[in-house]
Amino acid sequence: MSDTGTLLMAAIVVPLCLLLLCLWPWALSRMLSCLPFAPVPALAAVFFVPAGSSLILGSPRQNLSFALDVPGGLLLGVAALLWITSGTYALSYLKGRPNQARFIVCWLMALTGSIGVFLASDMMGFYFLLALLTIGACGLITCHDTPRAWNAAAIYIMLALLAESLLLVAFVMLAAEIPGNSLLIRDAAVALSISPHRDLILALLIAGFGTKAGLVPCHFWMPLAYSAALTPASAILSGAVVKASVLGMLRFLPLDTALPDWGTAVAAAGGFAAIYGVVIGLTQREPKVVLAYSSVSQMGFMIGVIGMGMIAGDGRAVLATAFYAANHVLVKGALFLSVGVTVATGHRHLRWMLLPVAVIAVGIGGLPLTGGGLAKLVVGGPLGDGTANTVATISAIATTLLMLQFLHGLADSVSQHPEARPAAGLVWPWLTTAAASLAVPWALFLAVPSGMLPDPFAAAVVWKALWPVLAGAVLAIPLLRWTRRFGHVPAGDIAVAIDLLAGRARTVGKAVEGLDGALRQWPAAGVSLLALAVALGAVIFAR
Amino acid sequence: MNALPLFASCAAMLMGLGLYALITDPEPLRKILAFNLLGSGVFLAFGVISRRVAATEFEGDPVPQAMTITAIVVAFAATAMAVALVSRLVEAGGRATVASEASEEPDADGGAS
Amino acid sequence: MPGVAALSDAAMGQPSLLVLAIVLPVTGVLLSIVAGGRYVEAIAFVVLLSGLVIAIFIFDGVWRGGRELTYVVGGWRPPLGIMLRADGLSALMMSTMAVVICVVGVFAHADFNSRLEAAETRSPFVFWIMLVAVSGAMNMIFLGGDLFTLYVALELLTFAAVPLVCLSGSAETIRAAMRYLLFALLGSILYLGGTALLYGSHATMDFAVLSQQAHLEPATLIAAVLMTIGLLAKTALFPLHLWLPPAHAGAPAAASAILSSVVVKGSFFLVVRLWFDALPGMLTPAGAQLLGALGASAIAFGSVVALQQKRLKLLIAYSTVAQIGYLFLMFPIAFNAAATPAQSSEALTGGMLQAMSHMTAKAAMFMAAGLIYTALGHDRIADLGGTARALPMTMLAFAIGGVCLIGLPPSGGFLAKWLLMRAAVETGQWPWVVVMLAGGLFTSGYMFIVLSRALQPSGEFLKLGAALPKYREAAALTLALLSLLLGFVALGPLDVLQVGSGTMMAAPG
Repeated sequence: MSDTGTLLMAAIVVPLCLLLLCLWPWALSRMLSCLPFAPVPALAAVFFVPAGSSLILGSPRQNLSFALDVPGGLLLGVAALLWITSGTYALSYLKGRPNQARFIVCWLMALTGSIGVFLASDMMGFYFLLALLTIGACGLITCHDTPRAWNAAAIYIMLALLAESLLLVAFVMLAAEIPGNSLLIRDAAVALSISPHRDLILALLIAGFGTKAGLVPCHFWMPLAYSAALTPASAILSGAVVKASVLGMLRFLPLDTALPDWGTAVAAAGGFAAIYGVVIGLTQREPKVVLAYSSVSQMGFMIGVIGMGMIAGDGRAVLATAFYAANHVLVKGALFLSVGVTVATGHRHLRWMLLPVAVIAVGIGGLPLTGGGLAKLVVGGPLGDGTANTVATISAIATTLLMLQFLHGLADSVSQHPEARPAAGLVWPWLTTAAASLAVPWALFLAVPSGMLPDPFAAAVVWKALWPVLAGAVLAIPLLRWTRRFGHVPAGDIAVAIDLLAGRARTVGKAVEGLDGALRQWPAAGVSLLALAVALGAVIFAR
Repeated sequence: MNALPLFASCAAMLMGLGLYALITDPEPLRKILAFNLLGSGVFLAFGVISRRVAATEFEGDPVPQAMTITAIVVAFAATAMAVALVSRLVEAGGRATVASEASEEPDADGGAS
Repeated sequence: MPGVAALSDAAMGQPSLLVLAIVLPVTGVLLSIVAGGRYVEAIAFVVLLSGLVIAIFIFDGVWRGGRELTYVVGGWRPPLGIMLRADGLSALMMSTMAVVICVVGVFAHADFNSRLEAAETRSPFVFWIMLVAVSGAMNMIFLGGDLFTLYVALELLTFAAVPLVCLSGSAETIRAAMRYLLFALLGSILYLGGTALLYGSHATMDFAVLSQQAHLEPATLIAAVLMTIGLLAKTALFPLHLWLPPAHAGAPAAASAILSSVVVKGSFFLVVRLWFDALPGMLTPAGAQLLGALGASAIAFGSVVALQQKRLKLLIAYSTVAQIGYLFLMFPIAFNAAATPAQSSEALTGGMLQAMSHMTAKAAMFMAAGLIYTALGHDRIADLGGTARALPMTMLAFAIGGVCLIGLPPSGGFLAKWLLMRAAVETGQWPWVVVMLAGGLFTSGYMFIVLSRALQPSGEFLKLGAALPKYREAAALTLALLSLLLGFVALGPLDVLQVGSGTMMAAPG
C-alpha cells in the first residue's frame, strides 16, 4: 500500500484500535492520556495526503472505500484539530469525575465515527460510521448521569435513529438506481440527479440529514443535549459531530444540477431555522443553551446556503458551505470550551478570559477580519443579492444579539471565588482553539487564488459586514433588558410536546398490553387459529 | 368402496369435534382427550386415503398405513408427556388449568436447577 | 498433519454425513439414558462437538461442490423411500445452529453440572439429554426431504423443547410447559392432517416430486393452509403467540436461549421449505401479504408490550415475539407479482440471514440475562442500576446482541434489513419498508430502556450474589460478537444460499 494509503488508513484505524484496546481494563485506565493523540494521524493525513487519493479495504466485490476530497479534507482537518484540543481539555476536566471509562469509550467511538464519516466514500461505510458516531455521541451525553442527561440522550438517540432509518431507505433506493454493483457515494449522487424517484430520495435525504443537523422542527435535541453533556463533549458534539450531516448533504445532494423548487424549499427551511434559532435563543439564560440555539441558527444558515446552491446548480456552494462549516467547527468548539473555563474563573481574572471569547463570539455574526467575517464573505457569493441576502443580514444582526446575550450569561456564571484561576490544562486548549478559529480561516482564505473571492480589506466589503454587527450591538441594549422581563421558554422548546406524547403513548401501551393479554387466553387463541386458517385459505383461493 | 365417503365424513367429524373441544374445553385432561380425538380423525383420514389410492394389486396403499403407525406412536408419546405434566402440575400444587391468570408470571429462573 | 488433512478432505462433502448428523444425537440420547446422570454431560459435549464438526463439513461440501448433497436412506428412492437433502439453506442454518448450541452448552456447564452433587441430578440429566435431542431434531428438520420425516422431526423437537421449559419444577413453569405442549400438539396434528391430504392428492411426500406435480386445487390448497397454520402455531406468530412469553421467560437461562433462538426457527424453516420448495408458485401474493401482515402485527404488538415489561426475561421473550414477525416479512417481498427470481432470492437470503442473526443475538441476550439474574438475584429492570459497572462483559454482550436486532451495521441484522429493503424497494412494496424501520426503532426503544438503567449508578452499593466465572460471560460475548460480524458473511458464504434453491426441482425422483 502506498504511503498516502497508509496514512489514510492510519487516520481511521488508530482511533479504532484504541477503542478496541479499551476492552482490557489495564489499557482503559491509561487511555485518558492517549485521547489527544488519537486524531493526530487524521490531521497528518489532511496535510500530507493529496486531494483525490483513495483507499479501498476488502475484496473487489465487497469493500469499504475511503477518499479524501477537498470539502471532506477541510472539515476533517478542523475537526481533527478540535478533537485534539478538546481531548487535551478533557484530560484536566475529567480529573475526579465519575464515569471516566464511559467517557473514554464513547469519545473514541465518536472520534472513529467522526473521522470515518469525513473520509467514507461508499454508502455502507458512511452509514456504518455514522451509526458509530451517533452511539458514541449518545453515550457522551449521558456521562453526567443526571436524569436530565439521560432524558437528553434518549431524545437524541431516538431522533438520530429515526433520521438514520430515513437515510437507510434513501441509500437502499440509491443503491437500486446505480447501475452495476457500486455503492460509491459519487455514483449515487450522479444516479440521483437522473433518477425517476428523485423527489422521494431527496426528501428522505434532506429529512434525514436535516434532523441530524438540527433543522427546525427536528432541532430540539440540540439544546437538551449540548447543555446536558460535559463541556469537552459539548464542544465536539456541536463542533465536529454535527458537521457530518452537513458533509453528507454536500456529498449526496446533486449540487451541480439546478433544482429550483427543491432549492427554494431547502433555502426557506434553512432561513427560517436561522431566525428561529436566534429568537428562541434570546429567551434563554444558560450559556450552553444559548450556544446550542446559536448552533441551530448557524446550521440553518448553512442549510440555507446549500439550498441556494441547489437553486443555482453550479457547484459553488460546496466549497463555500464547507468553509463556513469549518469555521463554525472551531468557533463553536472554542465557545463551548470557554464556558467550562469561565465557570472555573473568578471575578478578578474574568475580563482576560472574556476578551477572546467576545471577539470570536461576535465573529459569528460576521465581524470583519475574523474567521466568521471571512466565512460570511465566502458564502456571500452563493447567497446572491435577493431575499437570501436580506435574510442573511437579519440573521447576522440577530446572531450578534444572541452572542451578546451569551456573553452576559457567561459573565453571570463566573465562579464564586473571586481569585479562582482555571487550570492551565483547561486554558491552553481553549486558547489554542480560539486562536485557530482566527488563524485557520485566514490560512485557508489566503490559499484560494486571488480574484475568486472579494477582497476582505476593501472598504465596501468591510462596511457590508460591519453594519449588521453594529446594529445588533446597538439593539442589544434595550432588547436584552426587554427579554429578561418575560419569556421563559423551556430549553428544547418543542420538546415539551414529547412529554405530552409520552403520556399518551403510555396509555396506548397499557391498552395494547391488555389486548395482548386477552389474545393470549386459550379460547381466543384457538378462535384466532381457526379464523386465520379460513382467512389464509380464502385469500389464496381467491387468486 | 362406497363406504369410503362415510369414513371420510367420520374422519372430518372427529377432527371437527376434537378441534372444538380442544379450543373450548378448559380442563387439560379433556384437552388431551380432544387431541386424541383429533388425532384419530387424522388417522382415519389416512386410512381412507390408503384405501382410495390403492392400486389394483394392493388392498390398501402401505405408505399411509406406515405413516399412521408412526403417527399413533407419536400421539401416544405426546399423550403420555401431557398427562405426566398434568399430574406433576397437580402435585406441585398448581391448579390444573391452562388459563394464564392475570397475576401469573413465572419466576424467572436465572439458571439454578 | 497430512493424514488429518486427507481424512478431512475425504470426509468433507460425503453424503453419509447427512445421516450421521441425525443418528449421532439420537445415539447420544440413548447412551445417556443408559449411562445415567454422571456421564450425561460428557456424552452431550462429545455429541455436540461432533455435530458442529459434521455441520462444518457439510457446509464446506455444499459450498465447494456448488450443488446440494443428497443421501437416499436405505437405497430406496422416493416416492417410496426417504431422501435427505442438504442444500445451501440447510447448510448455513445447520452450522449456525450447531455453533449456538455448542456455545450454550459451554454456558450451561455451570448451571447443570452433573457431577457436582449426587443428590439432585434430575434437572441436569434432563437438560443435557434434551439439548442433544434438540440438536438432533433440528438437524432432521434441516436435512429432511419429505414432509412426513419433517413431521416426525417437528414432533421430536416439541418433545425435546417442552421439558426444557419446566426444568425448575415450579407450578407456573409446568403450566407454561403444558400450554406449550398442547398448543404445539394442536399445530402438529393440523400439519399431519395437511400431509394426509397432500398424500391423498399426489401419492408422494417428497419435495422434489411434489414441486413438479403440485398445482392449485382445493385439496392441495386446504392441505397447505392446514400445514401452514399448524406451523405458525408452533412458531408463535401473532396472534398465536400465547404460549411463548411465559415459556421462554420461565425457563432457566440456557434453556431460554435454546428455546428462543433455535426451537422456533425449526417450524419457521418448515414454512419456508413448504412454500419455497415443496409448493413453489402456489402462494399467491395476497396470501403472502397476509403472512406479512401477521408479521407486521407481531412486530407492533410484541415491541409495544416489550416496552411495558418490568422484568428482563419477559422483555426479551416479547422481543422474540416481535422478531419472529420480522422473519415473516420476507414472504410478501419474495412472493410479489412484480418480483423477478433474483429479487425473490434476495428476499429469501435476507430472511434467512435475519433468522441466523436472530439465533445468535437472542441466545446471547438470554445468556446475558441469565448471568444478570445469577449475579443480582433478580431481573427487575428498574433495579438494574450499577450492573454495567459490575458486569461489563455481560452488558456488552447484551448491548451487542441488541445492536444486531436493531439492525445497525456491520451486524447480520443490518445486512438482512438491507437485502430485504432492497428487494422491497425494487418491487415497490413501501409498507414493508416502513414496517421494518418501525421495528428497528421499537427495538432500539426497549434496548435503550434496559441499557440506560444498567448504566446508571446504583442506589446502594451493588452486592453481587455470586461471582460469575469468566467463561460464562465469554460465551455470551462470543455469540454476540458472532451476530455482529455476521454482516461480513456477505464477503463470500452468502452465495451458498443459492445452492440448491431451484435445483430441488431437478433432483432425481
